[in-house]
Amino acid sequence: MVRRLRDLARYRGLVRNLVVSELKTRYKSSALGFVWSLLNPLGMMMVFTLVFGVLWPNNQIEKYPLFLLCGLLPWNFFSASVNSGMNSVVSNGNLIKKVYFPREALPIAAVLSQLVNFLLAFIVLFAVLLIFRSHLSPWLWLLPVIIVVQTCFTLGMVLMLSTLHVFYRDTAMIMEIVMLAWFFLTPIFYSISQLPPYYELWGMNLNVHRILYILNPMASLINMYRDMLYYGYRTDLDFFLRTAITALAVLAAGYWFFIRYSSRFGEEV
Amino acid sequence: MSVERHYTTQPGAPLVELHNVSRRFLRQRDRRRSFQETFIQFFRRRRSPADEFWPLQDISFSLLPGDCLGVIGPNGSGKSTLLKLITGILEPTGGSMAVRGRLSSLLELGAGFQPDLTGRENIYLNGSIYGLSRRQIDTRIDAIIDYAELGDFIDTPVKHFSSGMYVRLGFAVAIHTEPDLLLVDEVLAVGDMAFQRKCLKSIHDFRYQGGTLLLVSHSLDAIQSVCNRAIWMDEGMIQAEGATTDVILQYQRHVAVLEDGKRAAVSLPPSGVGQRWGSGNVQITQVDLLGAAGVPQSVYFTGQEMSIRLRYQSEAYVEAPTFGLAIYHDSGVNLFGPNTDLGKLSIAGIEGQGAVVYTIPQLPLLDGNYTISVAVVNHNDTETYDFQDRAYSFQVYPSSRRDGYGIVTLQGKWSFHPQESVTVISPQPQVQVSRPT
Repeated sequence: MVRRLRDLARYRGLVRNLVVSELKTRYKSSALGFVWSLLNPLGMMMVFTLVFGVLWPNNQIEKYPLFLLCGLLPWNFFSASVNSGMNSVVSNGNLIKKVYFPREALPIAAVLSQLVNFLLAFIVLFAVLLIFRSHLSPWLWLLPVIIVVQTCFTLGMVLMLSTLHVFYRDTAMIMEIVMLAWFFLTPIFYSISQLPPYYELWGMNLNVHRILYILNPMASLINMYRDMLYYGYRTDLDFFLRTAITALAVLAAGYWFFIRYSSRFGEEV
Repeated sequence: MSVERHYTTQPGAPLVELHNVSRRFLRQRDRRRSFQETFIQFFRRRRSPADEFWPLQDISFSLLPGDCLGVIGPNGSGKSTLLKLITGILEPTGGSMAVRGRLSSLLELGAGFQPDLTGRENIYLNGSIYGLSRRQIDTRIDAIIDYAELGDFIDTPVKHFSSGMYVRLGFAVAIHTEPDLLLVDEVLAVGDMAFQRKCLKSIHDFRYQGGTLLLVSHSLDAIQSVCNRAIWMDEGMIQAEGATTDVILQYQRHVAVLEDGKRAAVSLPPSGVGQRWGSGNVQITQVDLLGAAGVPQSVYFTGQEMSIRLRYQSEAYVEAPTFGLAIYHDSGVNLFGPNTDLGKLSIAGIEGQGAVVYTIPQLPLLDGNYTISVAVVNHNDTETYDFQDRAYSFQVYPSSRRDGYGIVTLQGKWSFHPQESVTVISPQPQVQVSRPT
């Protein structure tokens, strides 16, 4: 594993060039170019605000566009990374069969290029913050750390999924459904406090809020983003640590899984 | 199975070392591509050994710094798999191997180009795929652009490139990575003549600068001219290893024997490409190509004896026929057309069956495919009895005593005169042609 990391460090230029070329090709043939990174979240925000702010009568969340954006941007980063990262190995099959390089460069580059997009979208978020005069958390400096934690979690997922996808092409189909379910089970366009606190299942009394946070790191992450940017609250330290450790564990497991099977990519893709 | 990889060379140690390396493939490549198939597989027995095949078995060799190893063999003999093992694209199933030093492979030129990026951007991307840092590419980019001969196109997206430009750029990047070991797989077959020559020159240069090279090619000439050692692979095993000339010769002998066997089975039918015409008063019923012992064969080595026997048949008595033949090279060049008249063999007349034989004591032809036309005409060439145009073929391989390149050997002799003063004869600008008046 140490050897593989050294190998990867030698090829960091490759990761950077892959990110740059990914970003360049994404916007090269569109008229507005990178402006789309800003327009896309704005457009989505308007759609959701229209549906859940206007068409939905009993919505009690104030500053709804800001609330929404705090959840939507991290979610978009996550879901776009999963989609492009999962395919990154298979779609570069031709390259993998011809040249040797550390294969993890591909999913890493896919996630990092989405990260760049995510950071650009923060321009929109801060603009909306100013419009709604939200009071910023004194713990705002923690925001980059949270972004790093989310990137680790995302990368771990992507490493695992991209490996699986090489061997089982069903992965993409399954993930389509999983991501849809995940989207609705994450408090993005609703607040977790709107859910019933308890649910009876086979005689057990389940704490819905707790379970959601424990089983869904994305829920925890989005909650932390909202603490920083929407509620202006310092996030709970134990809560933060638990999420960070989960993310690192997912990353380590994903990386291990990836390098365990990546030597067979050359014949399987 | 053990694999060792280092990015720096170690003095005195071979760059590549393989010990009994084997590689297994499963024949059913699509297996377990979906969960459904896995599920079905679960209830089946374990796969039978018939499902596997071994493109490489017990391969051992080492490549010392400065060596140039050529790998030859028919398609499917495991050459490309061998290269993929060395580059690290595939892992060996068994055996141990070590690779020491930076390597660069010319396996597929332009693999990894992004069509939407410009040539310049792709140089950076492609260079980093080969493991170069940005700074390293910065220092080489001018040389690369220059080498690829792309001119102003360098800042155009590569999707607008012609396939030749694409390959040129790919080769330019690969050759400028300055590896310790360069792996080349049949890339010399791309690009136009001029660029091919340039590629070959770069490979020569790389070698003279002390670079180590592993060249896979079907072009035996290229292997012969670049490599000092060669391996002949067949069916996943090393059949011969050693000095290039010896290995190539053994390989050619093997191919010659194989092809001869195939051709003997069909006993030289008229190839069908050629036309046949004539009055039919005399018919050439059979043409045999015979080796020294009088045995029919269709594959010869330069310098061997070869006889061409024309069997004829005529219903009635025909006076003073002339038999002739012509030998063509594959390129369409008529090399030689002897006939009995010019050869001062007078035949008073023929009736019934018989044969005419033309014997070449030492075949002066070099490697290639040749076709033979045969004909029989009347004495003053006004009537053609039977003409079979390029209807028979044979093949020649160069012998170990090859004395030059080309189509024919002129069997000249070299001599060396160090003390003699040489009178320079100035070339005559005009050639005197005596015109018959």
